[in-house]
Amino acid sequence: MPLNSNPHSHTSLSSLSNYSSSTDFTEHTNSLERSCEPPRFGLASFWTRAFTRKTDNDHSAASWKLFSRTSFFQKSRSGQSSCSSLNSSSSPTLNPRSIGSTGLILHSRPSFLPAKCPEEELHHQILHHKLLEESQRREQTKLQEKEKRIEELCKQEEQVAAATKIWTSEILPQWEISRKLRKTRDLWWQGLPPSVRGQVWKLSIGNDLNVTPELFALCLERAKEKLINCDGVGLESSVEGIKLDLSRTFPHLGIFQTGGPYHNVLGDLLSAYVCFRPDIGYVQGMSFLAATLLLNLEVSDAFISFSNLLNRPLLHAFFRLDHAKMADFYAGFEALLKSQLPKVYSHFLALNLTPDLYLQEWIYTLYSRSLPLDLASRVWDVYCRDGDDLIFRIAIGILKLYESTLLESDFIHSAQLLTNLPEDIDGIKLFKIVEQIGAYQEKSRFTQMLTHHFKVKGHT
Amino acid sequence: MSYAYLFKYIIIGDTGVGKSCLLLQFTDKRFQPVHDLTIGVEFGARMITIDGKQIKLQIWDTAGQEAFRSITRSYYRGAAGALLVYDITRRDTFNHLTTWLEDARQHSNSNMVIMLIGNKSDLESRREVKKEEGEAFAREHGLVFMETSAKTAANVEEAFINTAREIYEKIQEGVFDINNEANGIKLGPQHLPSNANTPSGGASASQGGACC
Repeated sequence: MPLNSNPHSHTSLSSLSNYSSSTDFTEHTNSLERSCEPPRFGLASFWTRAFTRKTDNDHSAASWKLFSRTSFFQKSRSGQSSCSSLNSSSSPTLNPRSIGSTGLILHSRPSFLPAKCPEEELHHQILHHKLLEESQRREQTKLQEKEKRIEELCKQEEQVAAATKIWTSEILPQWEISRKLRKTRDLWWQGLPPSVRGQVWKLSIGNDLNVTPELFALCLERAKEKLINCDGVGLESSVEGIKLDLSRTFPHLGIFQTGGPYHNVLGDLLSAYVCFRPDIGYVQGMSFLAATLLLNLEVSDAFISFSNLLNRPLLHAFFRLDHAKMADFYAGFEALLKSQLPKVYSHFLALNLTPDLYLQEWIYTLYSRSLPLDLASRVWDVYCRDGDDLIFRIAIGILKLYESTLLESDFIHSAQLLTNLPEDIDGIKLFKIVEQIGAYQEKSRFTQMLTHHFKVKGHT
Repeated sequence: MSYAYLFKYIIIGDTGVGKSCLLLQFTDKRFQPVHDLTIGVEFGARMITIDGKQIKLQIWDTAGQEAFRSITRSYYRGAAGALLVYDITRRDTFNHLTTWLEDARQHSNSNMVIMLIGNKSDLESRREVKKEEGEAFAREHGLVFMETSAKTAANVEEAFINTAREIYEKIQEGVFDINNEANGIKLGPQHLPSNANTPSGGASASQGGACC
C-alpha cells in the first residue's frame, strides 16, 4: 500500500475539533462515506502550509470538506476509536438503518380489510421476513466493506506516521549517506509522506545551477521593470502567454486562478524564469511543473528546483524544442515499447499512432496534468529518485495497464484514451507494473536503449 | 458504427482562442468556462450525415503556442480539413493568421479545405476584430468564413459540418483521390448510402452527437 494514497489523511489540522461523538448516526455515516471516497488530490501538505492559522477558527463548508477525514482519524487516534464506535452501532439488531424502508411494512392486516386466509398470511409473513433478511444482509455487507476501508485507511495512517518518523529522524539528517541506501530507496518507492515531500524534492533535484533566493528576487524585479518599461518584446509575449495560462493551470483546484491565493505567486515564478532564461522563455507545460512545485515548496525554493529541473536532459530537450533530441527520446521509448509490449508496439505501428502523440503531455508536465494529483505526486517522488528513465517506465506502465483495451481500439479511441487518461486509474497497480519493468533490469533498460540509439546515430 | 467516409480535421490557431472549447462543444455539446490548456495534441470524434452518408470526423486539436508550431507542422499531414481559429476579442490572434495560413498551406495537401473561424462571438462588447475584416481575409485567401461561439454553441455545428460538406463536394467532383490516405480521407467499412432513417440531401448531425 503506498504511503501517500490518501494524502488528506495526514493533515495535522482539525477544523472539526468540536465534532461531537453524540452526533446522530446518519451524520456519522455520511462523514464515513466522505472519508471513504477515493482521494483525489495530493493537496494535504499544501493546505497545511497555506492555511495553518486560518483553519483553527474556520468552520466553513469548504474546510469541512477538506478536513473532515483528518478530524475523523485524529479522533480515532486520541482514544475515542471511531472504528470501534462504528462496530458497536453496526450490529444489525440495533441499527435502524439496517432494516431500511422494508421495516415499515405492516405485519398484520388493517382491521377494515377482510382477513387473509391462514396460508396466505403465512406465505406473506415468510416473504416479508425474507425481504427483511435480504435488506439486513445488504446493509451488513455495506457496513463491513466500509469498516474494511476504514481499517485500511487507519493502517495507511500508521504507515505514513512511521515513514515520516524514519524520514525526519534517520534519512534527512544524514541525507548524502542515506539517500543511496537500499532501505531509503525502498521506502522512497512507496511515495513520500507529504510533510517531507517538498524537502526531499528540493534535496534530490539539487542545485547544480547555484540559483539563490537573491537571484530569484533579482529576476523577478527585472521582469517587473521590463514589463513596465515595455522593453524586450520577447518577454512581453512570454508574459502575455503566462497570464493566459495561469487560470488554465489546474483549474479544478481554484488556487492558481484569478483571485486564487497562488495566482500571483505562480505568475512571479514563471516570469522570473523568463528573465533568468530568456533563451528558453515561457513554454506551455511549465505552468504545471511550477504549480506542482509550489504545492510543496515555498516560492524561492520552488524557483530553484524549477530551474534545475528544467536543466535535466529530458525536459531541457523538450522545452528547448530540440527536435533531434526529442526524436532520440521517442526512438528510445519505441525500442523500450517494442521489447516490453510487442503487441501494443505492432498495433500502434499499424494504426500509425506515434509515441509523440501521447508522450508530449506526459513529458511536458511530468504527468501532473495527466494523472490524478496524488498519483502524479508519487510519480514525482520516484522521478526525484530515478530521474528521466522513470517518465518512460511510467509510460510503459500506463500502456500495459490498458493493454487489452488498446489492442481492441482503433486509432481515435486509443489516442483519446491516452491523451485523456481515466480519472480512476489504478495507481497501485500502475506502480506494481512499473516495479516489474524495473525488476529484471540491472541497469535501466531505457538508458541502455538510449545510449545504444545515440551511438548508432553517432551522437556520442 | 459504420461510416462511408472518415475525414481527418486539424484545429489550429493561437493559444487561448478556444480551439479545445469548440471541439468540446461540437463533440459533447457542452462548454467548460475554464478549460485546461492543451499540451501536444488532443483528439475528438463525431459522426455526421451529409447527403445521406455517414461521415466520421476525426479531429486533431493542437497546442497553439508559437513554440509548438514546429510540432504542429507534422500534424497537417493527412488532414482533409482545417479549422483556423482566431479570437475576435484579441487583435493579435487575427494578425497571426497569415503565418498560420502559410504553415497550413505549406505542410498540408493542396486540396485541404480551410475554414476561418472568428470565435467568442458572444463577447460582443470586447470585440477587437470586425466581422467584415474576417470576411475580407477569408475572401482574399479563398477560405470559408464563420463567426462562432463555443460558449453559446452559435455556428459551431455549421463550422464543422460545412467544412465536411466542402470536402464531400470535392470528392464528388473528383478533386480528392479517396484512395490516397494522404488526403485525409478514408473509405469507411461500408461505403454505401446509409440506412433510411437519416435524412437525405441535407446535412444533419447524428443523434446526440455521441463520440464514435
